[in-house]
Amino acid sequence: MAGLREIKSRIKSIEDTRTITSAMYMISSTKMKKAKQTLEATEPYFYTLQSTIDRILRHIPDMEHIYFEKPEIKRTKIGLLVITDDKGLAGSYNHNILKMAQRFLDDAENQVDLFVVGELGRQYFVSKGVHIEENFQYTVQNPTFNRARWISETILDKYRTGEISEVHVIYTRMESSMQSVAEDKMLLPIRRPLEETVPADVYQEDFLLLPSAKEAIDTIIPNYITGFIYGALVQAYCTAHNARMMAMESATNNADDLLRDLKIMYNRARQAEITQEITEVCSGAKAQQMSRNGK
Amino acid sequence: MAVFRLKIITSRRIFYDGPCHCLIIPGLDGEQAVMAHHEEMIIAIKAGEMRLQVEENGDWQYAAVGQGFCQVAHNRATLLADEIERPEEVDANRAREALERAREKMRQKQSVQEFHMTQAAMARALVRLKETERFTASPDRRQGGSVGGYGKSR
Repeated sequence: MAGLREIKSRIKSIEDTRTITSAMYMISSTKMKKAKQTLEATEPYFYTLQSTIDRILRHIPDMEHIYFEKPEIKRTKIGLLVITDDKGLAGSYNHNILKMAQRFLDDAENQVDLFVVGELGRQYFVSKGVHIEENFQYTVQNPTFNRARWISETILDKYRTGEISEVHVIYTRMESSMQSVAEDKMLLPIRRPLEETVPADVYQEDFLLLPSAKEAIDTIIPNYITGFIYGALVQAYCTAHNARMMAMESATNNADDLLRDLKIMYNRARQAEITQEITEVCSGAKAQQMSRNGK
Repeated sequence: MAVFRLKIITSRRIFYDGPCHCLIIPGLDGEQAVMAHHEEMIIAIKAGEMRLQVEENGDWQYAAVGQGFCQVAHNRATLLADEIERPEEVDANRAREALERAREKMRQKQSVQEFHMTQAAMARALVRLKETERFTASPDRRQGGSVGGYGKSR
């Protein structure tokens, strides 16, 4: 059995760590509350935007546009927007995102341009020796629409000049307060839904695009990209804190378990020591008595 | 009185959700009005002033709108924009600062991308400033002209 002193020092160190994890839990849960408010305010926009764009794509006339997919052209130059957090200690949050990004990098056919948001992602790719095309220097804390505008402008600029032919964004989406999933979404080019065969008697809505089809798409699509990136940033920020909160909660619980076990061990060791001392005293006294009697 | 269902959603909140008599939005090539049973259309919106009238002959509500688009179908309109602010919500000082910043940037050499961003920022700031002026304008000025008295409804 380990010595008393060793057990005591382990208890002390675990208690110290527990203080840190429980403090981080508190911090994350307050930040998370704020992030969740922003998320709830953004969610209607985020989802209506996507459904509206889907609807528009179903109904606009057949046309060619730089933002639309041309199936016959093979795309190999991929722009990858990776949204990670600034810090670790958030369970598998960053790991899932980076694993997904790594899959793109491992594909030898593709040439990948990386756009990284978040300090942790930057450090990961730098340590791997991967070239980062554009590093958005600011942290991912408190996303604003202006940042999303800047990010989407940077990416769209590269897309328009043909430096990249496909744009993906990898972020974490909040499924429920307990669950979040890392998601990979192809932003550009936009894939148009396949032509469905509509029965002749069904009324087909036909949208009028103003001022003209090309101009409307020219403004609506970049707007959609910016909106999507903003939504993704907000989602990522919220899930990061959620993940950290849960990781810290389980760390605190684990520390509690360890402490309980160690306290039992400590008490046993202490009792064993006392018992041994008593035995020694008793047997010593007995030996003396016996030698006195024998005299 | 015919109305249509209007939903205005911004990145920060649901700005308006309810019936509407007439909606006027700044399209890329000029203002566009939407009334009940408008034909199906999708219209791109640039930074500018929008106004809506909930009831026929009712008060006009004004707002500064950012970039976005509006979809009209089946007597329903959905307007999505990055930001929309009512005149009383606009922070005049912040808008003025933004305008100054944009002006300053315009004078400097910048990339095409930066230029577009600055241009957009400037347009937003100008629209927002215009809205604050409307809100703080003297009552007699407000009642004259086509403005229709925004302040009366408050």
